[in-house]
Amino acid sequence: MSYVLAWLALLVLTAASFGATHLPLGSLAPAAALAIALAIASGKAAIVLLVFMHLIEASTPVRAVILTAFVYIVLLCAGIVADVVTR
Amino acid sequence: MSASTSERTPPVARPFAEHFQDLERQQHAVRLGMWVFLSSETLLFAGLFGLLAGYRSMYTADFLAASHHNSVAIGTANTFILITSSFSVAWALHSVRHGARRVAALCLALTVALGATFLGLKLIEYADHFRHGIYPGSHYAFAEMPSHGARLFFTLYYFLTGLHALHVLGGMTFLALLIRPVVRGRYDEAHHVPLENGALYWHLVDLIWIFLWPLLYLVG
Repeated sequence: MSYVLAWLALLVLTAASFGATHLPLGSLAPAAALAIALAIASGKAAIVLLVFMHLIEASTPVRAVILTAFVYIVLLCAGIVADVVTR
Repeated sequence: MSASTSERTPPVARPFAEHFQDLERQQHAVRLGMWVFLSSETLLFAGLFGLLAGYRSMYTADFLAASHHNSVAIGTANTFILITSSFSVAWALHSVRHGARRVAALCLALTVALGATFLGLKLIEYADHFRHGIYPGSHYAFAEMPSHGARLFFTLYYFLTGLHALHVLGGMTFLALLIRPVVRGRYDEAHHVPLENGALYWHLVDLIWIFLWPLLYLVG
């Protein structure tokens, strides 16, 4: 049952992500749109990880491993962007 | 096929390897190993996502303009397809753990079919891009958007979606190979780790697309 709810939640978030591209955001458009898109995508990722991939009932070592990978990606992208925009 | 497909093949009682205390610890080790592998696959894409982040900062306008050319319809359809395929493979594992082998096999087949549909749509997309002269790297010849930034966007697009498509193909192959053992009753609540790992790999494919879709198709 929780699988069905997760699936429906994912569909709703997908629709929300699509709908968010049509929001009038004014001058902040690119940065705000990107932030919203990544936030919604992270929400969807959390649902897939926790429910479909059973991370919610997984052991701590397993959670630590995948968390490390995501933290690394964030650090890598943040570092690259910080480098590039300050040149 | 032989008549034995309708008989239940009992799961083999697997003796666990010597260096494990019991079967449960071995299964935990296999699970942890699978997650380490998934994390390494994530890191493989991390480099490409890093490039996307960097070049997008440098050529924001070009990137936004170029992503307008991608078909939002196909991209969104593919998102729904992969999300539903994640649901079906999760249901396949759930069914096996509750003894419903036929439902499980059907769900696996559905997952593979959805994966094939995804790839079919990607081929249609690529064909359309080629028609416009959009090729990766130095072969880029898109007259409408000749800028360096647009070329970088589409090159990254091909690398990201191409690498992802290879993962879809690999996942499909593994899941397809699991259908027959599932039908024959090789897996149950106590022994289902290969199916679980196949499902995990498929969910990763979905996860990667969840981030690719907004970054490559949806613009502000």
